[in-house]
Amino acid sequence: MNPLFFRKTIIAATGLFLCVFLIVHLSANCILLLPEDIARDLYNSYSTTLRESPLIKIIAYVLYASIILHAFYALLVTLRNRKAKPQKYVVNHSNENSTWTSQNMGLIGTIILLFIIVHLANFWARIKLGMGEEVRLDDMGNKDVYEVTYNLFQNIYFVIFYTLISIPLALHLHHGLKSAFKTLGFYHKKGLKFLAKVSLIYAIIMGVGFGIIPFIVYFK
Amino acid sequence: MRVTFKIWRQEGPDDKGVIRAYEVDGLSEDMSFLEALDHLNELLVLKNEKVVAFEYDCREGICGQCGVFINGRAHGPHDNITTCQLHMRSFNDGDTIIVEPWRAASFPVIKDLVVDRSSLDRIIEHGAFISAKTGTAPEANAIPIPKDVSDRAMDAAACIGCGACVATCKNSSAALFTSAKINHLNTLPQGKAEEHKRVAEMTFQMEIEGFGSCTFTGACEVECPEGISIINIAEMNARVVKSKLLR
Repeated sequence: MNPLFFRKTIIAATGLFLCVFLIVHLSANCILLLPEDIARDLYNSYSTTLRESPLIKIIAYVLYASIILHAFYALLVTLRNRKAKPQKYVVNHSNENSTWTSQNMGLIGTIILLFIIVHLANFWARIKLGMGEEVRLDDMGNKDVYEVTYNLFQNIYFVIFYTLISIPLALHLHHGLKSAFKTLGFYHKKGLKFLAKVSLIYAIIMGVGFGIIPFIVYFK
Repeated sequence: MRVTFKIWRQEGPDDKGVIRAYEVDGLSEDMSFLEALDHLNELLVLKNEKVVAFEYDCREGICGQCGVFINGRAHGPHDNITTCQLHMRSFNDGDTIIVEPWRAASFPVIKDLVVDRSSLDRIIEHGAFISAKTGTAPEANAIPIPKDVSDRAMDAAACIGCGACVATCKNSSAALFTSAKINHLNTLPQGKAEEHKRVAEMTFQMEIEGFGSCTFTGACEVECPEGISIINIAEMNARVVKSKLLR
């Protein structure tokens, strides 16, 4: 397949998978909003189930691959696109014909990628890889992931970092979701208008959801 | 009316190029933008200086020759018009107007504001036609085409190939142009016979000409003088997949 289309198709397909993943992720985060005694048991047993289910293991590898392929092909596309416009305009009012987000998806994506690395170091590396301080077990014998989360969000700097990052995340999702469908060849006019609204609502829910939960945990 | 033009001056393809300022007095707000450039060139002739090279043909918004980047927008400050349809009343007395050529690796500058857009012509050469027998014209109603189908084909066919989509696109993508040409013919029964070959060859040519990918910023449809919808690109993407599967 023509690289102009192949690369974009991979970015769109992996992007859509990541959008679905984020729904599951945010739903799980909502457990943190419950009263502490219920939240701890539920959150820890949920994360144990995720770690031990063979099906989830396969999906986890699809997830790692999606993040890597999404970023890798986005890098290839961005490099080629830069080469296609070697000389910039002295004055360019691109804000009058397109959104800032759509012009800067690469920059926003890079910020999100850096966040993912920090996020993985905070949780994935400790809980799944066993790096750093050992995670203790709760009363039911599950790894106390709730404690890890709670402790992290007692640090106001991490709370602010996680909250601020939800802004580029929401922007990226708003442009990415609706564009992914167009890249994959969905061209129904009314359907696309509807999708644009869905993308906006989805981005707001994800941005507000991921942004506010660390704050609620901080004040819990 | 008096304005300061800041214009990209470049002697030839290999010259470095620089922005030069020209103060021009005695303009009328009823002048088209191209007439204002004509006026500037007349003044330059009288001063024995080299005139500013720029392209135009019809000056009535249908030929697609007069594309330049004006004050940070393709074809100037308004949406969906050509440069020749832009008038000096869109500017204020005393304004500084920055004029640059289209910027894209696939549109090398020939001189000043003139760029080589033959990369678009080569995309056309790779399938934006139908292989029909020559001879007398066929009877007009021999092939019935529903009105909505002919309307959709006509909307895409309206593309005048000015290159504003490529110029305004941060990726210099020719996706709007190529999709308009593909959808125009592939929508119609006359174009069906060669539809998959057309999609494969035109998009391949688009790739080797060095255009970028479409990332759906939407700038192209705002700057397109014919208001060709970006949905054409989504339709082309569907056709690319279909041609890959069915060819």
